[in-house]
Amino acid sequence: MTVQTSVVDAEPYIPGRARAEVARKAFFYAVILLVAAVFFIPFLWTLVTSFKTIPDSVNVHLIPHPWTTSAWHAIWTQYDFKTYIKNSVFLAVVVTLCNLFLSGLGGYAFARLKFPGRELLFLLVLGTLMVPDQLRLIPVFVMLTNWHLIGNFSGYILINLVTATNLFFMRQYFLTIPKDFEEAAKLDGAGPFKTFSRVMLPLALPAISALVILQFQGTWNDFFWPLILFGQGNASHYTVQLGLAELNFNYSTLWPQICAGSVIAILPILLIFLAFQRYFISGVVSAGVKG
Amino acid sequence: MATASQAAPALRSSMLGVRLREAGWGYGFVAVPIVVFGLFFIYPFGYALYISFFHWGILGKQGGAEGTFNYSAVLHDPIFHIALKNIAEYTIGVVPLEMALGLSLALVINQKIRGRNFVRSAFYFPSIASSVAITTIALYIFNSDGLFNRIIGSHTPWFHNAGTVLWAIVGLNAWTTSGTVMLYYLAGLQAISTDVYEAAALDNTSAWRTFWKITFPLLRPAHFFVLVVFGIGALKLFDQAFIVGGGSGGPNNSTQTPVLYIYRDAFSNFDFGKAAAAGIVLFVIIFVLTLVQRMTVGRQEAA
Amino acid sequence: MRKRLGVILGLLIAVVLLAATAQAGTRGTKVANVTLAGWSSGPDEDALLNQVINVFNKTHPSIHAQFTVINGDYPTAMTARFAAHTPPDVFYVDSSVAGAWAQQGVLQPLNSFIKSSKYDTSAFFPSLLGAFTVGKSIYGFPKDWSPLALEINKGMLGQAGGKAPKTWAQLQSVAQTMANKNVVPGGKPICLSPDWARMLAFVYQAGGSLTNITSPAAAAAVNFYVGLMNKGLATTPDKLGSGWCGEALGKGKAAMIMEGNWLLPFMKSTYPSVQYGIFPMVKDKTGGNLAFTVSYSMAKDTSNKAAAWTLLSWLTSRQGQTIWMSKGLALPSRKDVKAIGGRQAFLSAAPYAHGWGFGNPHFASAYTVMNNDLTAVIAGSKSVAAMLADIASALKG
Repeated sequence: MTVQTSVVDAEPYIPGRARAEVARKAFFYAVILLVAAVFFIPFLWTLVTSFKTIPDSVNVHLIPHPWTTSAWHAIWTQYDFKTYIKNSVFLAVVVTLCNLFLSGLGGYAFARLKFPGRELLFLLVLGTLMVPDQLRLIPVFVMLTNWHLIGNFSGYILINLVTATNLFFMRQYFLTIPKDFEEAAKLDGAGPFKTFSRVMLPLALPAISALVILQFQGTWNDFFWPLILFGQGNASHYTVQLGLAELNFNYSTLWPQICAGSVIAILPILLIFLAFQRYFISGVVSAGVKG
Repeated sequence: MATASQAAPALRSSMLGVRLREAGWGYGFVAVPIVVFGLFFIYPFGYALYISFFHWGILGKQGGAEGTFNYSAVLHDPIFHIALKNIAEYTIGVVPLEMALGLSLALVINQKIRGRNFVRSAFYFPSIASSVAITTIALYIFNSDGLFNRIIGSHTPWFHNAGTVLWAIVGLNAWTTSGTVMLYYLAGLQAISTDVYEAAALDNTSAWRTFWKITFPLLRPAHFFVLVVFGIGALKLFDQAFIVGGGSGGPNNSTQTPVLYIYRDAFSNFDFGKAAAAGIVLFVIIFVLTLVQRMTVGRQEAA
Repeated sequence: MRKRLGVILGLLIAVVLLAATAQAGTRGTKVANVTLAGWSSGPDEDALLNQVINVFNKTHPSIHAQFTVINGDYPTAMTARFAAHTPPDVFYVDSSVAGAWAQQGVLQPLNSFIKSSKYDTSAFFPSLLGAFTVGKSIYGFPKDWSPLALEINKGMLGQAGGKAPKTWAQLQSVAQTMANKNVVPGGKPICLSPDWARMLAFVYQAGGSLTNITSPAAAAAVNFYVGLMNKGLATTPDKLGSGWCGEALGKGKAAMIMEGNWLLPFMKSTYPSVQYGIFPMVKDKTGGNLAFTVSYSMAKDTSNKAAAWTLLSWLTSRQGQTIWMSKGLALPSRKDVKAIGGRQAFLSAAPYAHGWGFGNPHFASAYTVMNNDLTAVIAGSKSVAAMLADIASALKG
């Protein structure tokens, strides 16, 4: 459907078909708006529920009555969300930066540099995707315990320095970039690192944006490993997700509080997304302008 | 390295020097990732391989048999067969849906349309919330008198019905991951040089043809990436199955998955040897599938 | 260029190391620190537990106890700590996993401490202490507990004659009256969880038991339970648009449910206007109920067992438990501590209650099989006999 509409956009203008085109455009926008609405509903529901009372929160209707900010008040005063946010931001920033640097370099090497054993090492990278967390939990935990990296952030950062997904993604992106760009740099006598940092990295802006958004979000939303690695210690190491889990009790789920917490949890990711999404349209790779 | 030095006499020394230097840079660039993966993936994998031949509890090796008995227990367990069947159905259902949805969204956003920023953010929203939160909300929206059933006028408990639950999870995950797939495709679309589009425009090729003849094939690295990463992700389905079935794999084994099977053996039965054996079996299956993908979709990508 | 790469790598490592050292805290060493871990059941309970611990810390200046919440996946987080030999000193153990943890050798048997400090264990309800006893070894003291009771919407019961059922036959006839008079519009008279943690009570009422699960009594209980659904008198919570039966009661989609003490704070906060009564569970050949209980247990791998014992024994002592019961959030596991009013229907179950977990090391794992099979039996795709045979074999491991 969306593909068909790109026909509309690209086709040369033919006067007699204007009305049909308007109708098709209207239909196109209607569909997009519908899809956007469907995608937007969970967030809207979360936001609205955060202003409901607990008895009201189990009702399906969208308008809270009465409106109340008590859930917001409760989570801000009863729980230390300021600390949780600080911790989550710290972890997300450090992990994202490390991933950006290491998977950028590694991805470039796997895509462009020739070295013996490259294919084998690349299979090893793919192989790491196949090991479920449930399988590696105990050995990794025991290892980190022996290195005294439990109960603080360093163990978590260490095991998340670079992920196979990011490395793989950067490699695939670099494969898509035409080789002409680096040939020029090579002729100028630039070494691999200079070629990477001066030529390839600027070209990779869309990929970097995607990586930053997704990795920041991934670290921000991670629950399993922070629970296992920081859970025992005190709340000073809690992340936002661990804080949210505190609100989820066996038989009485405090929906308004959870929803207020979820809104807090979503906002930073939304900011990152809005800040980086503009690089998706700049068309940095191509010399010309495109649609 | 050894092959390079054996070949040395046949090559001009400067050529060899260039190659050696490039190889050196290559190893340098991948060194840290390889060490990280080695420590936190390869070593645990080797450990799992080792303990899969023993009776292994929380505190280590227990007495009794040694050998391949864990493997025969896993391979002869009808529950494990059901888990494999479920995960095959789930993966075949969810991966094409994720790819099609993600690519469609990316193509829409890649065009000049009004309110693009808003639409893009809306498309990305389901990906933002953590999987636990979104699953909880989905359970609520899709329960028998929830929002969804009110709209379509039915009373089906989508996530509690053995016949519908797996497909409900397919729909849920296709929906929530489509934004992520969209970002990956969007990045891939940026890397395609506009020259090829301009050439197509000059030839007056229709956009439909341009997409299938030019854009789609040029996205091959992105397809390979999405297929491998999301395919493996699908085969490792755990969170949603765990929440929906309360960890039991029910109703009627319909949410039984291999990783849930591993989890149950390890963390409620404390039979780490058998859990490891199931993990190795799953690994072998995924590895073979990925190799096949590498030789088909991933073929020629580096050309 | 190589230098620059080295510098950047060095910087990265420095950041990580800095993060590590910045987070490494120091503690005073004069007092013995005892870590206590568990999950949280609500903000009220958290506040109360901290109050209890503060009293302990004040009365025991040589020991400092600190509570840590592990919400989310408690068993997995604890398993990782056991495997690394760094468990908390004292922690919650759910009765359903007590047998397995004891068998794995991660729990400290308390017998020698009981003997040397002459601790009187006869104050605990025997079925509750039994849930943490394997052979002759005691692996923890119950901190509180809850059995099941029958909760009935008062208005709906009034329309159906006003008398709460006491037996299986009465349960069925009251439900039939409710169905005939359409007392529960859009719902069903009874909400039944597809969960052995409810149905097993009926097995005991029929004179059966988990250890002899393939007996005719067990089959009769299952047939009665599932039969209520097949007759249209009961259904599962998901068919009532609810996550669990408590929600169905709150929404007015069910008149009668069987839940424990945990229902009370939920109804108070979420459905404060719903009027319901709490009655003892129904009986058949005998009374039968389940005791859901959690213990304070000690890690085998703790380095200060003496301090851990002091904390554990004080928390479960009459003094400690009296403070714990002061808000009426839980039921006392000791006979010499009074429960808050209105809990008689729960406490009367004590003589008939069977500790949930049954000291079987394979119970937690078998439980997943039990519930999975039960959903199949309810859907009509598995026979009762086949389910009971599955369970018998799962309980053997």
